[in-house]
Amino acid sequence: MASVALERGGLLGRRLPVAARAAAGLRRLGWLERTAVIVFVIITVAMVLVPLYLPHPTTKAIAAPLQGPSGAHWMGIDEQGRDVLSRVLFGMRTSWFSAFGVIGSGVLIGGLIGLAAGMVGGWVDAVLMRVTDVFLALPGPLLVLAVVSALGPSLRNTLVAVMVVWWPFYARIVRAEVRSVMSRPHIEAARMGGAGWLTVARRHVLPGTFGSVLVTASLDVSALLITLAGLSFLGLGSPAPAPELGAMSARGLTYLFTGWWVPVFPALGVFVLAFIANLCGDGIRDLMEL
Amino acid sequence: MTGFVLRRLLSLLGVLLVLSLAVFVIQTVLPADPVRASLGANASPALVEQKREELGYNDPITAQYVRFLGNVVQGDLSTSLRTKRPVTDDLSRFAKPTFELAGMAALLAMGLGLVLGVSSARGGRGAGAVRLVMLGAASAPTFFVAIVGILLFYRKLGWLPASGRLDRMRISTGPTGLYTVDSLLHGNWQWFSSAVRHLVLPAFCLAVGPAVAIGRVLRGALLDVMRLDHVRTARSKGLRERRVILRHGLRNAMQPTLSMAGLQVGLLLTGVVVVELVFAWPGLGLYTTQAIQQADFPAVIGIVLVMGAAYVVINALVDIGQVIADPRLRAKKA
Repeated sequence: MASVALERGGLLGRRLPVAARAAAGLRRLGWLERTAVIVFVIITVAMVLVPLYLPHPTTKAIAAPLQGPSGAHWMGIDEQGRDVLSRVLFGMRTSWFSAFGVIGSGVLIGGLIGLAAGMVGGWVDAVLMRVTDVFLALPGPLLVLAVVSALGPSLRNTLVAVMVVWWPFYARIVRAEVRSVMSRPHIEAARMGGAGWLTVARRHVLPGTFGSVLVTASLDVSALLITLAGLSFLGLGSPAPAPELGAMSARGLTYLFTGWWVPVFPALGVFVLAFIANLCGDGIRDLMEL
Repeated sequence: MTGFVLRRLLSLLGVLLVLSLAVFVIQTVLPADPVRASLGANASPALVEQKREELGYNDPITAQYVRFLGNVVQGDLSTSLRTKRPVTDDLSRFAKPTFELAGMAALLAMGLGLVLGVSSARGGRGAGAVRLVMLGAASAPTFFVAIVGILLFYRKLGWLPASGRLDRMRISTGPTGLYTVDSLLHGNWQWFSSAVRHLVLPAFCLAVGPAVAIGRVLRGALLDVMRLDHVRTARSKGLRERRVILRHGLRNAMQPTLSMAGLQVGLLLTGVVVVELVFAWPGLGLYTTQAIQQADFPAVIGIVLVMGAAYVVINALVDIGQVIADPRLRAKKA
């Protein structure tokens, strides 16, 4: 599907510049997806810039504890007198880029394994894919739980543990795409033209896998946001004062009836990010399948 | 087909072995010092060394793994640091409430998934709205659904209880430990309605994520099936759309849907930890959270082994069940 789209672009000859192609792609989307993709870009930029416009410090008390949302503090004040909006914004930033980091590592590890399996074939393929299958069959989040409680809870340990279990799906996808590209005549032509394996991989095989990896990765962002927030909710994240959405919500549960804004807004933060990521994922999928 | 079942069972055994190996590695290799971790930071070096010898940490690593595996197979998961009881006893005590909650959630997830999938695949009025609802539900972390559910149905409307398994009442301990079943067996309606009312909110929160995942897959599969020739034939011989979907569409769309349902059980098992924490449901999940918070490492390891094995076994059963149900798969997988 995706590789077909790429080929079609090639057959038309003249390749449009990236910006123009992106704009053309955006126009083909439904209004909801188009808005989502634009919002995705805006959110990413906004998350990078959070420290510049953070209204208050995230770990210092600035007012009397447990005040409801007001004009001065849009999401209220938590049980320790800290500004909830500031903490939620910072937590969203951490979540957003943590998810990106894990996906990046998943694409890298899974991509390399899938590429090796698909290009070499034979017993290498068999062994690598068996390993991948076993990893896929194991319950990832549970293993993360065990690893993090062995290493001690911290955001870094959680991210490393999630990275360890998050690649097999990408390995499968990349391998399938690589296999289908490898059977096409242009690979043979390139080989006969004297291109080495690395060149073939870089110039002729990897571009063909780009589409489906992008689609999978974009649909994956929300799953990761939710998984990471869940782990943080259970106490497998940064220790106490750090503004992490899941942990904030968990600690705020005590004040659910006296200060609903303390647990609700961090959870809402996760929801908003995941919703945007989901809309974009759908949009990118539709875009690549057209 | 027997060949396939045997091979699937063999691979199940292999995956279970790998699971045990993974847990063993996590337990033995990762902590800086497992003995010190189990004795606490203030233990004297002599005591640590004695304990180290006693627990067999000075043996070769392979011997340690074989002993670990032997213990696990015999149901010995060592002792919880927090409760000072064997982890196996703790787990079997807390498994029943979790089984009741997760089972109810699984049924709910499949029912909801079916409704969501069919109604969004049918198109026409409302399909867009269903799609948006599914997208929203897929984006909500479990604890968000739970918090909003409690605020709305307990705090605001007062319809449903928000914590525990029962109201204060005298109950006779039943044979199964599942309150919904036991209360029926005893014919105690007050008990039954209390158990069900306590079950509704947590089960729903737990079911939302899996339901949407199942619904999405079903929608995709249905859309593919409804384009096939036999569906056109069914339509052209004048069957009503409802019957076409139920008889000719749904059955053929079930296979990927069931695979997804099996995978979602894994999600359910991790979701249950969050839900039990929020709703103070006295099951494995709450036990897990307490174990994590108090660094009760043997307990965490035990839970991961048991829940992980449950997940792996359920997925194998789903695979086998599908092959039995769908003859076309026998040729493909055999």
